[in-house]
Amino acid sequence: MKKNLLIPALGVFVGLLLFSCIKDTDFDQAENVTLTPVVELDLIHFDVAANEFFDEVTNTARLRLVDTTEIRFLDDTEIQESLLRADFLFRFNNTIPREFAVNFQFISEEGEETYATATVVPAGTMTNPSTPPDFIEVVEGEEVLQLTGANRVVISVDIPSADASLEGNLNLQSKTTYYLEIKERD
Amino acid sequence: MKVITLFFIAFGLSVAMAQNKQVLYGLEEVPQALLTNPGGKMPAGQKAHFGIPLLSQIHVNGGASGVSVYDIFGESTVDINTRIQEKIFEMSEKDFFTATQQLELISFGWRGNNEIYYSGGVYQELDFISYFPRDLAILAWEGNADYIGYRFDLGQVSATADLLTVYHFGVNKKIGKRLTAGVRAKVYSSIFSASSTDNKGTFVTELGDENSENIYEHNIEGADFLLRTSGLTNSPTSSEVVGRAFLGGNLGVGLDMGATYEVTDRITASASVLDVGAIFHNKNVESFRAQGDYTLDGIELIFPPLNAGEGTFPYYDDLEDELEREIPVDTITSGYTEMRPLKLNAGATYSFGKFVGGQECDCLHKGQIERTQAVGLQYYSIFRPKGPQMAGTFFYYRRLWDFLSAKATYTVDSYSFSNVGIGAVVDLGKFIFYFAADNILSYGNLAKAKSVSLQLGFNIKIDEE
Repeated sequence: MKKNLLIPALGVFVGLLLFSCIKDTDFDQAENVTLTPVVELDLIHFDVAANEFFDEVTNTARLRLVDTTEIRFLDDTEIQESLLRADFLFRFNNTIPREFAVNFQFISEEGEETYATATVVPAGTMTNPSTPPDFIEVVEGEEVLQLTGANRVVISVDIPSADASLEGNLNLQSKTTYYLEIKERD
Repeated sequence: MKVITLFFIAFGLSVAMAQNKQVLYGLEEVPQALLTNPGGKMPAGQKAHFGIPLLSQIHVNGGASGVSVYDIFGESTVDINTRIQEKIFEMSEKDFFTATQQLELISFGWRGNNEIYYSGGVYQELDFISYFPRDLAILAWEGNADYIGYRFDLGQVSATADLLTVYHFGVNKKIGKRLTAGVRAKVYSSIFSASSTDNKGTFVTELGDENSENIYEHNIEGADFLLRTSGLTNSPTSSEVVGRAFLGGNLGVGLDMGATYEVTDRITASASVLDVGAIFHNKNVESFRAQGDYTLDGIELIFPPLNAGEGTFPYYDDLEDELEREIPVDTITSGYTEMRPLKLNAGATYSFGKFVGGQECDCLHKGQIERTQAVGLQYYSIFRPKGPQMAGTFFYYRRLWDFLSAKATYTVDSYSFSNVGIGAVVDLGKFIFYFAADNILSYGNLAKAKSVSLQLGFNIKIDEE
């Protein structure tokens, strides 16, 4: 008689397991989970003195300064998939009495230009620096793919004329706002 | 299918809880109650017990203090991302996810001629806890754009995971008329262990001032991260894992202590402290420590005069090198000592109702008086990396028949204020089956449970003739 109770006891326990369940849930929603971080990140900066535009050894003007840096993460697969939009902000301060043409070229690993932009910085003086409004370049839509095809940026600074007596500095600060959308992709 | 779902919840989703066995504590009929209090009162007539190997105690426990599966995955018109976002901000860095699993391999006990009840055995334990790194979750979810000047606390990262085997042997004796006391010695054999606690550091993006090199300054300040691992340095073969389980791993020692005091015939007080001990990790140890401060302000271009074909500076590599120099990651292979999570139990019981067996003095059993009903309070606490987690339980116990007793509990803990548990012991003479489960109100829909705990087991006991 007593032993028969093992069955009901086990029955209660198994029943607890069987009648326990997960209800009113939809795990397919996991596919819709999307992270949309907006990341603010410094980009490049420089502070070029006027005398760099004149080579005292050869006594000639250097009318173009060029430099290159890798931005290695830009063409990562994750960034290529996730980047929706990138806002570049360039802030200049010019105390050199010359107007500058500044070019930004984004170059792919294969050496091809994938994206480019340019701006002009008005002339300034030591006492009255030229601080043009922030130059903002918004990259979105199809252009994002061009941007993320690059892994380095070439910056060139053109000065119309220079001599040994030229004074002042050209200063650049810059940052990028990356709008990302990270989700499961097929 | 539903069973599979249950185990999915118990093992998979719920990163696990506090090991509270509130239903089992004080349930004298079950030999495994001795593992929650080595000084528990032993049924007077019990001469010996044997656990059925691998089936004598199966314990799973999972929980998340701040969130349930339903909170995120429930059917709703609200977008899942909105719900995740709300939860991230609602939860605090003290919220946690835990999982514990225990499987008894061997269990035995016997009463010696000196009236000492000896018990011992071997069980395997998996224990995991991770606190919710709220600031990092916000950073990942929203980015830093809306948080310029906000100091993200990187020290909120805190997690431990352990897989080990425990060999234990204990003694339990009734000392005098009212007091029962016991101790249990434990040897831990760690199969693997990983922990990262007591981390420090902040990350902040600040707007630069007029002296700044660039528009922002991205600062990592006072970073001090330590991840300790043992048993993970290589991919161990299965025979190695088995070897570590059988005392071939990193060893440790520990102690359980407990006592029960019968204040009056009706009132009983008990307390136990479990896992006072440590594991000494000195084999297969690999730890990683990153310390330092770093400020990122972008890449400074120098415009070096270059001849044709000459390359400029490797600015990006220099940046990475600088980061590695300022916040170096050291690999440490020296041993370390890991404290076991200490657990405290305490209980007070008031017994009432009829006497078991219908007589006031069960003279055969040396004067021990058992009543059929009891109510009481229990306290439980486990020491975790960010401080103790506590639970309070009210219980009602009833011996329904000689062969069936049951205990119902109501527990308030880190997870909820509505945790109702039940347990039952089926005593068929030589054969004892028990189960205990908490949060049973949630079994109707486990998705809404923030924690689930389950123990069951089969034992054989031999009573004095």
